[in-house]
Amino acid sequence: MRHGQFHGFAKSARYALIGSITAILLAAICFRVHLDFASVIPLYLLLVVFQSLTGDFRSSAVVAFASTACLDLFFTEPLFSLRIDHPLNALALAGFILTSLVITRLVARVREEARSAKLQKDRLNRLYQLAQQLLGLDPEAPLGEDFLEPFRRLFGIKAVCIFEADSAELHLVGDSRELAVKTRDAYIRGLDLDDVNARVSVRRLQTSGQLAGAIGFEGLQDSAESAGALTALTVALLERKIAFHTASAAAAAAQTEIYRSAMLDALAHEFKTPLATILAAVGGLREAGPLAAEQETLADTVEDEASRLGTLTSRLLRTARLDNEHIRPRLEPVDVASVVAPVIRQYSARSSDRTILLTGGLESAHVSADPELVRLMVSQLIENACKYSRPGSVVTLSIERKDDFVSIKVSNNGSSIPRNEQKRIFERFYRGEDAKRSTSGSGLGLYVARKIALAHGGALDLETEEQGDRVTFCLKLPTTKDEFKHALTA
Amino acid sequence: MLSQHSSVLVVDDESALRKALRTSLTASGFDVEEARSGEEALGTVQQHQFDLVLLDVSMPGMSGIDACRRIRGISPQAGIVMVTVRDQEDDKVRALEAGADDYVTKPFKLRELTARLRAVLRRTRMSETVEPVVLRAGNLEMDLHERILRRNGEEIHLSPKEFDLLAFMMKNAGAPLTHVKLLRTVWGVEYGNELEYLRSYVRMLRKKIETDPSNPEYILTEPWLGYRFRDPSDPDTPRESAQDD
Repeated sequence: MRHGQFHGFAKSARYALIGSITAILLAAICFRVHLDFASVIPLYLLLVVFQSLTGDFRSSAVVAFASTACLDLFFTEPLFSLRIDHPLNALALAGFILTSLVITRLVARVREEARSAKLQKDRLNRLYQLAQQLLGLDPEAPLGEDFLEPFRRLFGIKAVCIFEADSAELHLVGDSRELAVKTRDAYIRGLDLDDVNARVSVRRLQTSGQLAGAIGFEGLQDSAESAGALTALTVALLERKIAFHTASAAAAAAQTEIYRSAMLDALAHEFKTPLATILAAVGGLREAGPLAAEQETLADTVEDEASRLGTLTSRLLRTARLDNEHIRPRLEPVDVASVVAPVIRQYSARSSDRTILLTGGLESAHVSADPELVRLMVSQLIENACKYSRPGSVVTLSIERKDDFVSIKVSNNGSSIPRNEQKRIFERFYRGEDAKRSTSGSGLGLYVARKIALAHGGALDLETEEQGDRVTFCLKLPTTKDEFKHALTA
Repeated sequence: MLSQHSSVLVVDDESALRKALRTSLTASGFDVEEARSGEEALGTVQQHQFDLVLLDVSMPGMSGIDACRRIRGISPQAGIVMVTVRDQEDDKVRALEAGADDYVTKPFKLRELTARLRAVLRRTRMSETVEPVVLRAGNLEMDLHERILRRNGEEIHLSPKEFDLLAFMMKNAGAPLTHVKLLRTVWGVEYGNELEYLRSYVRMLRKKIETDPSNPEYILTEPWLGYRFRDPSDPDTPRESAQDD
């Protein structure tokens, strides 16, 4: 910096010396050819203008004073003296020096602005080129050396360094270990850094309000302004990288869902045809001839189990579909009792090891719901209660009517859900530790059941009891709205 | 028995299933022919008359729905039972709209299948005879001329629309009836989406004819599809529809 200042002074002095010598030479020539004071003034003004166009303000000011001195010495009475006898001459000289200084100042300012505009244009141009080169890079590639090299090349930087918080990786182009340390340090402190002596500028990188890393430059010209622009560009590219990443992750997820759906469809078909064949064959066995008692029992077992497998496949498929789709219930006034009763009959027949008990009677309670979806939810709750309770236990179901809701409660004894799992059991694919050990399942049942309940404007919750080994699920569905009530009583 | 020596054409692309069905249905008293695809079935139907066609919905080549429509064109008197695999209502509705008389969902028990086949056979044969004036089902008796419904001999008052709806259902006892079909037949061709009408009429009919409207024994709901009228004295129409949940 000091070196630069000294250099500036020397340059100004050189220009001032040349200008002053020219002023003296001009005085000598004009004196020789006997030009008067009035004719000489414009010539000196020209000299000052010329000086300000080539030199800087300091040298031009010196030349202006030198010119005034020459005019005073050689062209005003008394000659060869700095004294001025005639007041008009004094006025003229004062006018001259004032005009010269104003011109000098104006010209210097215009030149300064032109220079700064050129610099600005130049910087913009380089920024544009940089942006172009960076945009050409693979948007998902890490911000490594390929990313930093154009910075160095286009801005003539000694070294540039980037620290990416996501991967905690530090990349450096150019030879400056110090810059690497300062960049990481700026990220850790969360502060920008400008070291004028070392010509180092480090800026934090913030994407959508979050600190995502830092970028450091060493040897950057006009570092205060340029660093800001380069940082903004880096942030834009970082955001682009994140956006690309998000988009491709979403595309991958969508693709997975499509595959899953297709797989399930194929599975359903592939499973059901052999099952249909088994059922047709075992039915034929029975029709073909009278079977002995034990043969009849075995045929029944084959038939029942194959049917059960078919039912399980269908249920899994339907649950998976509901998991995948937006649920749009086909609402109609439904008497909960009429939906629940067949489900209880069905499960009572199926699970002979457990008793399914309806407490409080089957009072009719109307809700506005999709009866098939209600059946699915109630089936899921009863099935879970049977699955997770000990053989021989009782599963109870009750229907309660409140003002705006009808609650269907399904409880079972003989199992409990640990406190830390209670919140998570409704999560998709979540299976409790005990559940994983003791029974099979997809981890979708409760998730889908709650999704259905919410789509109805209802809720499905676990009712916890502080003591005892009792699990109760409460399904709430909104009661029939007025327009439906009208249809019901019509 | 009605099914004695009734002829069935089994159309399925799975040879194992065809073979099992041929053996089992033959043992149950049917004459069975096989076709491997919709195209082959069309050729066979053109050459022989069948009482029944058991048709798989999803087959490579011509779809079961298309085959159903074409077979219906060639052989209007044959009873067509579709085998659906996706337990979604769309397939069933499309099958019924294409002219199928009923459907079974894979996998099905043989007894369930033979019951469906017998019921379809009986309905198609009945439609060939003169329409009866009095319809009977369980303890219901409907006089179509007098427009009177009696339950256990006692007259039950029905509005004209209720009567038309129940009459149409009783005439088609055992058959699945889609919402659209019921609306168009009873209310008129310009209807089809007014499910609320239909539901409230069914609800009222159940109040009048069922002992326990929440657990109906006559008008059964076919989920997402429509209704099926059940004659309690008909062993081939079970009360709980063979739905896999």
